[in-house]
Amino acid sequence: MRRLIVLFGLGVILSTAAGAQAYHRFWVNCNYDAATFMTTMTRDAAQDYANAARYEGYQWGGGCWNYDDVDSYPNDPPADTSTHGEGGDCSGLTFKTWRESTDTWRDGRYYWRALRNVHGPYDAASFRNGNGAPNHVVAKSTAGVMDAFASSTHVGMVFMRSLYGGDQIVEAKCEACGTNIFYRTYRSDSSYGGVGRWGWTG
Amino acid sequence: MRRPSIRSLAGGAAGIASGVIAGVVLTAVSAAGPPAVPRLPALIDAAHVPRLLRLPGEPVRLRYSIVCAPRDDGLPCDGSGTVYIRDGGGGQFRPLALRRGDDSKEGRYYIDVPPELASSAAGFSYYAVLRDDSSGTTVAVPSGGADAPQLSLLLRDAIPVDLGRHLFGRVRAPDAQVAEASWGAAPQDVGLAGSRELGYSGPSSFDVEPHGTVDLLDSVNGRVMRWEKGRREVVALGGAAELADFAVEDDGGFDVLEPRGTLRAFRPDGTPRWSQKLADRTWAKLAHGPSGPVVLQQPSEQWMPVAGRGAPLARSAQAHAAHDGKPLANGDEVVVERVGEGELRVAETAGRSTTLRAWRITSDTPLGEVQLAEPYGPRMVVVTKTYTDDRDEFVVLMLDRTGLAGRFSVAADSWTETAPLARFRLAAGGLYRLRTTESGASIDRFDLEVPR
Repeated sequence: MRRLIVLFGLGVILSTAAGAQAYHRFWVNCNYDAATFMTTMTRDAAQDYANAARYEGYQWGGGCWNYDDVDSYPNDPPADTSTHGEGGDCSGLTFKTWRESTDTWRDGRYYWRALRNVHGPYDAASFRNGNGAPNHVVAKSTAGVMDAFASSTHVGMVFMRSLYGGDQIVEAKCEACGTNIFYRTYRSDSSYGGVGRWGWTG
Repeated sequence: MRRPSIRSLAGGAAGIASGVIAGVVLTAVSAAGPPAVPRLPALIDAAHVPRLLRLPGEPVRLRYSIVCAPRDDGLPCDGSGTVYIRDGGGGQFRPLALRRGDDSKEGRYYIDVPPELASSAAGFSYYAVLRDDSSGTTVAVPSGGADAPQLSLLLRDAIPVDLGRHLFGRVRAPDAQVAEASWGAAPQDVGLAGSRELGYSGPSSFDVEPHGTVDLLDSVNGRVMRWEKGRREVVALGGAAELADFAVEDDGGFDVLEPRGTLRAFRPDGTPRWSQKLADRTWAKLAHGPSGPVVLQQPSEQWMPVAGRGAPLARSAQAHAAHDGKPLANGDEVVVERVGEGELRVAETAGRSTTLRAWRITSDTPLGEVQLAEPYGPRMVVVTKTYTDDRDEFVVLMLDRTGLAGRFSVAADSWTETAPLARFRLAAGGLYRLRTTESGASIDRFDLEVPR
């Protein structure tokens, strides 16, 4: 009987040790619920949504966060999806904020809640090119609230224009800097292009 | 050693198997249970581009974004607010309720400033209190409220400067390269971080001391590189400071403004002196003020002192001491407002409210951020960006009472990302520019003609 108990304990240790890495990642908190189809989508509701993701971290290839204002797993190795940490990456945050579909041919409005783990089919370069039915290229000088600037490596959304001619940009920037509103000069940077979402209703 | 029986082997296997199953079940239960999702607390934020420099007859609409916790039905914030406004810079404020518009591309909530205030020779000052009606949470913009309202000045005699259409490719070469380092981590190198997939960052800011010493914030390696009379020195700061802004104090100490809004002050030897959170959520630029570092902060869009007489200022003290203009050593201020796609207004004021001189700069090519606007002798030097959708260059303007006294273009030349408004510094020796390429970083000097 004593041997059985010892081996039982060994089995528990083996099973938890094997799953330790996955258990300690944030994605176990996330869900895969269906998005809610919506008929409206205003720029200020998008500001609300992106602003609430501030401080929740950055995860390459990610799109799942809670609302505790803490990055549960900061400073993971960059450009590694397998770390399964908290937060979106730049294109994941934009995709969810812009209420897009995982099907690139759909241009409807799909509301993804914060803990819904979805990144969407676009990377920064795809946004820059205006790929997908809901997206299009805009002249940078005309970009307004919740339009975006995208390069081959990054995309960030305009939270508001700013007095000195730069922009307050809401963006998932990097593992070290997380998701926040930063002052940026993407508008005048030739490596960035202007991108918009079709279908704002106000 | 006794050979194990079939029964004991089966028992052992059963023990391990049941243990594994129990462990898996335990793990699954603890991982798949209801996730700890904190309820989103009531939050409110705001955005507003103040109208600081107006032309006679120009209608004035003040627009605000009210930003709340996201609603589960996906609709925008149920907001309201009041703008408190008065003639000039003193007296009683009068409340005007914000109206809710149909479109939020530039801010959903607005008021039209009454004509008698919009045309007042003394200008008008104002602040707003914005409210999330679902939670009752409020926020003031600017954050100093009635103690530090925005002051909108009427530019009666703004000197017109028409830049026309920008001709790209006609850039001026620098007159000297005053500092240079290759990428790397060795003492003589400057750090580079990132990748082709993520983009690169390198030295994020620099400063030039009055006697000509050049200080480069080696953000990636967490140190300052100093070039003094041809000699290079390294001062370790104890940690990376990527995309931070930077200024050198009069006593040789360093101020490092981190991306998430903490200003860290270091002694000349690199040991920490103090650190202080900014009043507002976002910053654009760190600069020298008359009595310590000042930071242009958002959403207030004001310059706030972060320290005075060597000691940090609490967040509320920063907000209540805020100014619309960048404070100068002589007590004057420089007020800047980018308007529309291709217009820039600049005013030098005595104190907050008396306009000494002002310029209205227009361009057929869109104008971007204003990197710098500072007096230089009798002139005002302005460095701004001009751009199309696929080209960009800096434009250096030298303004005087006749208008445009001189201009030249400077190549963007930024292979790495820097702090947003940290590419240029104006010092006694001229205009300095931080440049990065695939091989390293350099600081160049452009000599400026100074009339006597």
